[in-house]
Amino acid sequence: MNKVHKNYTAYFLFVVPAMLLYITFYLVPLFNSLQYSVTSWNGITQPVYNGLENFQKALDDEKFWIAFKNNIYFVAFSVFIQVPIIVLVSVLVSGVRRFLDFYKVTVFLPSVLSTAAIAIIWQFIYAPDAGLINQLLREIGLESWAKIWLGDKATATLSILITNAWQWTGFYIVLVLAAIFAISKEMLEAGEMDGAVGWRKAWYLTIPLIRPVIIVVMLLSITGAMKALDIVLIMTKGGPFGSSEVMATYMYKQAYQLGDFGYANAIAIIITIFTAILAGIFHLISKRTKEVEH
Amino acid sequence: MKKTMTLLLATMILATFALAGCGQKDAATPADNKAAGEAKTPQSETAQKPGEEAFSMTIRHINVRDTAKLTLKILEDVVKKTEQDVAGLKFELDGVEDTVNRDVKLKAEMSAGTQPPIFNLFGGADTKNYAAAGRLLPLNDILKEVGIADSFFDLREFTVDGKVYGLPESGFIEGFFYNKKVFDEAGVQVPKTWDELLKALETFKAKGIIPIALGAGGGDGWSVNMLVNSLIVGFGGPEIQEGFATGKTKWTDPAVIEAFKRLQELQTKGYIDPNALGLKYSQGQANFYTGKAALLFDGSWAINALVGDTSTVKDHAGFFRFPDVGGPGDGYINGGWSNGYGFSAAVKDKELETVKAFIKNFYTIENQKRGLVETSRIPSMKNITNIEGANALVKSVGEAQGAAKGAFPAYDSLVQPKIKVTLESTMQELIGGEITPEKAAERMQQVQEAANSGK
Repeated sequence: MNKVHKNYTAYFLFVVPAMLLYITFYLVPLFNSLQYSVTSWNGITQPVYNGLENFQKALDDEKFWIAFKNNIYFVAFSVFIQVPIIVLVSVLVSGVRRFLDFYKVTVFLPSVLSTAAIAIIWQFIYAPDAGLINQLLREIGLESWAKIWLGDKATATLSILITNAWQWTGFYIVLVLAAIFAISKEMLEAGEMDGAVGWRKAWYLTIPLIRPVIIVVMLLSITGAMKALDIVLIMTKGGPFGSSEVMATYMYKQAYQLGDFGYANAIAIIITIFTAILAGIFHLISKRTKEVEH
Repeated sequence: MKKTMTLLLATMILATFALAGCGQKDAATPADNKAAGEAKTPQSETAQKPGEEAFSMTIRHINVRDTAKLTLKILEDVVKKTEQDVAGLKFELDGVEDTVNRDVKLKAEMSAGTQPPIFNLFGGADTKNYAAAGRLLPLNDILKEVGIADSFFDLREFTVDGKVYGLPESGFIEGFFYNKKVFDEAGVQVPKTWDELLKALETFKAKGIIPIALGAGGGDGWSVNMLVNSLIVGFGGPEIQEGFATGKTKWTDPAVIEAFKRLQELQTKGYIDPNALGLKYSQGQANFYTGKAALLFDGSWAINALVGDTSTVKDHAGFFRFPDVGGPGDGYINGGWSNGYGFSAAVKDKELETVKAFIKNFYTIENQKRGLVETSRIPSMKNITNIEGANALVKSVGEAQGAAKGAFPAYDSLVQPKIKVTLESTMQELIGGEITPEKAAERMQQVQEAANSGK
């Protein structure tokens, strides 16, 4: 081991490939993006430096703020609705004695499908005329509840959020389940002896013990929510009239539909900064709560 | 033991890289294009005489879908003939899906200056941008040399400062497709004026049929813009939309506001499918060709879908021009020639010769006729007689085109891309009842002024 410490060739050999990959595929594009974000560039002719104009434009852009707000909805929906459901279902499933594998497979199944397939399946479910939801509502006499789910600004974003949750919940449930099963039997038995049964056991024993995994799940769903793109692009393309746009789809549109690559790069930078801030805040909070508990 | 493992791993990694390299090379040649490949191989061998240097050239086309099979066949035949004409030439067909090509691939190549020598090109803003960057080959001299300078209906979408930078492959006409059976059963005649149209729509609505099929949800807002486009020109005349980008006319002009009001009227009276914002463009089309709707406002490119295997109206679908609204645009029809081929300005001697041969072989009356008969596409070149074998619907589109006072291009070939996108979402808002016609016009004018000032 000591030999390796002094062997600079070995260092070199191990570090350089990783460094090269990191620089080529992470630092250089990031730097490029920064560079273009302060220019006016249509993607073809020479970029023209215009200072912070693109960032100013984003701040004044009503449509960008709608997209920003929708990203916040994505994050809030994940953290406050999706994660509690995940934990609840996991705890329930972990208590099941028979057909456990069956439940695991059924909840995990949606995660196996590609987002494109899922988005298209749910488009059929939400379809105004022949769609499953509207058909069901009509069947049970709630005709007036039938809506143009993806074509109404009141329901478009929510519809996407539900689809997105449907896709990823199963994956996270399997993660949380694994953590629950990893809790040692002795600890659970000791808890039961002290009178922790049913919901008390879940609340005072299981959930605190799987806390690290819950935090990972939250962090994953927050970053996932920040980079949401494909599902929106396929289901509504940000419509109707930009009401379900997220920042990434707005960036995509600015670049590829409008040929405003400077502005698109500025939006990319804003997404990066905002995600970093969000992840940072989350990190602080989760650390703080841990300290309090201990 | 450990050493052997490392060696093995290193070899594997190297092999992977080498294979990846090969894979990329293969991807550049169209592997899926079997027919072309078969035709090509013996061809290039015969063409390659001793002393002639072999060279290959790429053609980027967008005929990748199953529905474009026949269009691809025409291109392949031209490729074969051109390879015979130019010694040593071997063409490589590179098929790319059209929006991917238009929005991503070609754009990136144009930016880097690595565009293929022959590629699918859209007129209007695309052509203007690429010409300004000096990437496109001016064709005026070649057209004279080949003798087809006056053969096209209209090259204005490909013309920048008097220079022609692209040649349209085919054209389009927009108007109302209608279900003759539904019309007959309701005793309704083809409407000639706006009032007649409203009356007809009311009849269909009362019978429980969707009056106008439309799918304008999500990213398909452009499909409602076709209708608006004809309304704007109807009230304002063809010049009005040419004036937006120059500042001569405004979106707040009474003609535009009136057009927006009429669209809103269609919506509030329930004449446009109330589900329009929840449907994709193709779903709107399907409502028409499965017989659920009486009318569909669409372009001639829709014909293939309307007479396709799944259509229940293929034998009784008709076409008529947008009815007269009592404005200076009455009698005109929306149509244009905006998609075809462009050529790289970077071509060298041998390649330039190939470009000329390609143009000579591709832009012929026979090919145009084949396009019309086999693929129901509107020709881009004049003087096509005898269209035997063409389907009835494309014939009636041709008749409507012939009977019109003139054709006007789609507004989006005359305005900046930003205007196109803004009008799409604004019209979605209008038919969603979110905005008034006046407010919509104001917003359009604001965005137009910003775009005109170069911001």
